[in-house]
Amino acid sequence: MLRKLHQLSGIVPLGAFLLEHLYTNSKAAHPERGVADFNQAVADLQAIPYVLFIEITFIFIPLLYHAVYGLFITWETRPNNLSYPYPRNWFYTIQRITGIILFFFILFHLLNFRFGLIPGLNERAVAHYPNEAYEIVSREFQMLPILIIYIIGIASTVWHFANGIWLFLVDWGIVIGERAQRVTGYACIGFGVLLYVLWINVTFAFLRPGGLLGGLLY
Amino acid sequence: MSTHTDRTSSTEATADRSYTPAPERQSERKFVDIRIKRRDRPGAEQRWEDFSVPYRPNLNIISCLMDIQKNPVTKDGAKTTPVVWDMNCLEQVCGICTMIVNGKVRQSCSALVDQLLKEKDPITLEPMTKFPNVRDLAVDRSRMFEHLKQVKAWIEIDGTHDLGAGPKMTQDEVAERYAYSRCMTCGCCLEACPQYDEDQYIGPQAIAQVRYQNMHPSGKMTRDERLEGIMGDDGITNCGNAQNCVRVCPMSIPLTKAIYEENRETILHGLFGWLKR
Repeated sequence: MLRKLHQLSGIVPLGAFLLEHLYTNSKAAHPERGVADFNQAVADLQAIPYVLFIEITFIFIPLLYHAVYGLFITWETRPNNLSYPYPRNWFYTIQRITGIILFFFILFHLLNFRFGLIPGLNERAVAHYPNEAYEIVSREFQMLPILIIYIIGIASTVWHFANGIWLFLVDWGIVIGERAQRVTGYACIGFGVLLYVLWINVTFAFLRPGGLLGGLLY
Repeated sequence: MSTHTDRTSSTEATADRSYTPAPERQSERKFVDIRIKRRDRPGAEQRWEDFSVPYRPNLNIISCLMDIQKNPVTKDGAKTTPVVWDMNCLEQVCGICTMIVNGKVRQSCSALVDQLLKEKDPITLEPMTKFPNVRDLAVDRSRMFEHLKQVKAWIEIDGTHDLGAGPKMTQDEVAERYAYSRCMTCGCCLEACPQYDEDQYIGPQAIAQVRYQNMHPSGKMTRDERLEGIMGDDGITNCGNAQNCVRVCPMSIPLTKAIYEENRETILHGLFGWLKR
């Protein structure tokens, strides 16, 4: 029961929110209007009715539950990849490693951007200063260590989410057969690669207009 | 091999030479070195001991252990106690001689020395780690019997009255059930499972038996009881999808299919079962 909720919370609402997050960030990827569009998007999000209630119910509580219960699951594991070096066994262990990375990455990300509570780094919450949103993020990303943390953090997020979709599908008895699982597995890998490209592109949109692709698709 | 060659004439027998390893490779090797993880009594410290047994072609691990039993002397010539292990059928259908050979769990009766030496030399033998170690290579696997009781892995047949022959099954169902029926409770799946531990997770072995019994037309009558047997804290939800179980199963049982079929059954039972009460 608790485990099933853990699996579900990773897809809805957390996975859904992740996609929304990518959508909002991607506003910054427009080569000319990027800055204005992104700041407007932040302002629009803050204009959602009962925004604090929605944030707490659909993001903070599920996130806290998924993170804490996830650490508990990880605590139970007895990895044996060297004796049994099968791909699925590696996926199993990497899902837990990325989970631990994400615990610290998301904690840092929230304190830094959502709450602006890291003295000496950033003390302005992006959400509360929509007019400066792009500028705050851009200033952070210009620091190489921060940029590297984000590139690794995003890789962990995308892996954990893409593999998590597969895990959800098999754990909830939706995809059962061996062949079906293999096909779904490749689909999830493809989806993960796509997400990572989009997300790295938009991350660099905070360093140069249009992002890594230079606004190629506009 | 012998019965076949005995009956053929001497000219035809030469065609069967491929059955025996190349003669020049046999002559090179005189001994097989084996490292065994030993324990003198429950709770005592484990220690490694090295043995060297005379080589002959087509040895299996059981015959090496028998050699050590006849002459319990370590490689250095020190006298020691005979190594304790379990064995019974010697043809990979009883499962009791299961141990960790060269780091991988398998039956020692069907573990052939000529193949094992290609993996690792000296060959290593260890007891399974997920069951209480009795002594040396012998473990107490009664835990698996408890799992079967927990999921009611049997079919209620005639009580005070005759239930009759029961409905027919389709060929597909018969074939799938036959696969699950091959389980010999050896414990390979539990040993290789990174989630399995005492009281933490019931494991693939029992879940496959739930599938096996619940597919049976008469077994379906007590389906919900079996589902509830795998829906507790140690139940099916603890599966981590590492899928090692199906890779190491010596009987090629589709263990993961059983788990995912039962995932669907337990999800539906959990979501909608309470609405029926």
